[in-house]
Amino acid sequence: MSNTAWRNRAASKSARSKASLPAPDRARAGDLADRATQVTAEWAPTAARVLLGLVLAWFGYHELMAPQLWTGYVPVIASGSGLALAAVLVHGWVLLMLAVAITAGVVLRLAAAVAALLLVQIVVTLTITGGLTDLTLRDVGVLGLAVCLTGATRQRALLTA
Amino acid sequence: MRIAGDTIGPRGIAVLAVSAVVGVLLGLHGWSGRHNGLPSTLASSAPRPSAPARVSRPARSPATTSPATPSPATPSPPPSPGPKLSSQSYASYSYQVWPGPLSTAAKAAATGLVIAVHRHGSGIMVTAGVAGRPAPTPRFYPAGAKVFVVEAALGDDSGNSDYNLGDDGLVVTNSQERILQ
Repeated sequence: MSNTAWRNRAASKSARSKASLPAPDRARAGDLADRATQVTAEWAPTAARVLLGLVLAWFGYHELMAPQLWTGYVPVIASGSGLALAAVLVHGWVLLMLAVAITAGVVLRLAAAVAALLLVQIVVTLTITGGLTDLTLRDVGVLGLAVCLTGATRQRALLTA
Repeated sequence: MRIAGDTIGPRGIAVLAVSAVVGVLLGLHGWSGRHNGLPSTLASSAPRPSAPARVSRPARSPATTSPATPSPATPSPPPSPGPKLSSQSYASYSYQVWPGPLSTAAKAAATGLVIAVHRHGSGIMVTAGVAGRPAPTPRFYPAGAKVFVVEAALGDDSGNSDYNLGDDGLVVTNSQERILQ
């Protein structure tokens, strides 16, 4: 069966199914769908913000609490050195600040842009050291979230005061 | 106040200031505890009773153990027992690799490391290093010794690569699970 024929059949089946509903029910279903779309459009960017904030907060907290476990990720610098430890602590602190800023919506787009830059650095470093793997691509997804928030203009629950 | 097109008010500044202070306090806590966990390296340090040896550089292949191959290395004197492994902070993420069989978690934890255990006379010879790097000198441990691989976060492993060997280590205990290395 061609694609066009399949699409026509599906459309006519859907139309029959809608026509079988009484008019008030159809209107109510349409309202519900519209409302769901509206709520999603309003709150999805906020959900994205909170979820990205959670990721950054988790890593920031653990880097600050146990920096010695994270020095293996520091590029160039020897993992056992104090400099690597300090680099992890600074990185953890920046992540924590970004997490708070993004979650609370304080200077959101700037924070998201900085987070995106950090994630670019992480993705590039991981790709150089280990190639394109599942871990690297997962970080590419998080990078995408940060990039989206960089351009987000519609946000709820922002702390602008 | 406007920064990069976004408005920031007193509450926003207060929230950022509080989180900055909290971050500094957490960082000070982390810095003060930097010697806890996995501080020493296999290549550079002598056996330490209170901490597992840490593998020093990145690498990419699974750990192996072989049950009965004699080793050509000269046995070194066995170290004196330290505290019990169960009393250490890393006990919850230590996985037994000897005696076997290897659990799935132990196999995952050993990603990027080469751990070889051979029977040698009345004890065992243990070699642990990073895959793709020259193997360090084997160490001798008396009979009944147990070998554990330490991996704080399995999430840094992908395939046969370990991105962060900073949270990997090796612990050898005696039969009472007191730490020898």
